[in-house]
Amino acid sequence: MSTATQSIDGEIVSIRLAMRMEDSMQAFAVRAACFVGELDVPYSEEFDGHDFGATHVIAYVGEEPAGTVRLRWFQSFAMPERLCVIQRFRGHNIGHLLLERCRKLAESRGCNMLYTQALPTEVKYWEKQGWRRLVAADPLAAPKRIVAMVRAVDPNKPLPEIESPEAIVLHPEPQFDASDRPLERV
Amino acid sequence: MSLQDRSTVIAHHPVVTIKLASTLDELMQCFALRAAVFMGEQACPYFEEFDGNDHAASHIIMYVDDEPAGTMRLRWFQSFCKLERCVVLRRYRGLGVHHEINAWAKRFAQRKGYTKVYVHLQKRHLAMMEKEGFRRVDDRIFKFSDHEYYAVYCDLEPMNSAIRLETDPMVVNRPEDRLDEQGILERSAVREATNPHAPHVERLRN
Repeated sequence: MSTATQSIDGEIVSIRLAMRMEDSMQAFAVRAACFVGELDVPYSEEFDGHDFGATHVIAYVGEEPAGTVRLRWFQSFAMPERLCVIQRFRGHNIGHLLLERCRKLAESRGCNMLYTQALPTEVKYWEKQGWRRLVAADPLAAPKRIVAMVRAVDPNKPLPEIESPEAIVLHPEPQFDASDRPLERV
Repeated sequence: MSLQDRSTVIAHHPVVTIKLASTLDELMQCFALRAAVFMGEQACPYFEEFDGNDHAASHIIMYVDDEPAGTMRLRWFQSFCKLERCVVLRRYRGLGVHHEINAWAKRFAQRKGYTKVYVHLQKRHLAMMEKEGFRRVDDRIFKFSDHEYYAVYCDLEPMNSAIRLETDPMVVNRPEDRLDEQGILERSAVREATNPHAPHVERLRN
């Protein structure tokens, strides 16, 4: 599947789903460049064990892998995460294209809610993309606290009432290390 | 983990482990470290970094306290081993651990019988590598992927235990970075040689 939507310096930007090992490798390389290389995230946190139960969406500029997002599937929502774009390709709305593909993919699977966990500094970006905080901002919360955000898959169908939002926030999947041992919670 | 436990973890001397990448997970770690440094820090395009030679090479992975921290790729030519794509993650620089990767790679090549390692070296690293015994091959300067390079080499002492035709065949079969330990194929020798072969089966037609 490929959708040509725009071009950068004459190179077509396309969004594709990872189908082959090589595609996943490109997604991982882009994430390693942005998160491990630029933001100094430890390898074991970036590659957390969820990569083989997720859908990887990749943005290409020409044939060059330029951005990626990982989409995890839950019964009540789809979760885009690990969204990143290689530095020299930023400013061209590639993040938007990636999230839009996530939205359409969720729609095609009959999913009606997207959910993500954003850093406080990223909240404005997600809001521009049509997302909102799951729980109203708490001025007393620690400034670096992760913010749960949601977006309706179909903007014309408002999200159903969420009965216990904290349950979503507080129950991530169990984390495992490379040898399948549960990671110690620090 | 209590606060006290954490501080001891931070204060202890880092444990450096180097091995040959032998599983897909370890290869993935090598590739991710290279992507982090070359694509993330040096803006190298993906297809220049992953140039098609990764599946014809040996890869070394270095861990600092069990966290992937550095890597190097080795390619094998007739008269030399080429060391390339050496990286140490930013947070582990300044500990001098790249010397340990270099030394490990040299010993590894020596054990395979090589007496020369060869490197395309970014100009800024020449002084550092000269201290390790590397010399320029000639005065050529060449450029690729936005950097200038020298070709340098280092002579290695021939090693008595190097793999040669006369080496015990079961030693040749061992994992290459653990030639002094018994390998899984030697342990398999406790089974009788029954020469099993599946019979040829005609493929069923639908």
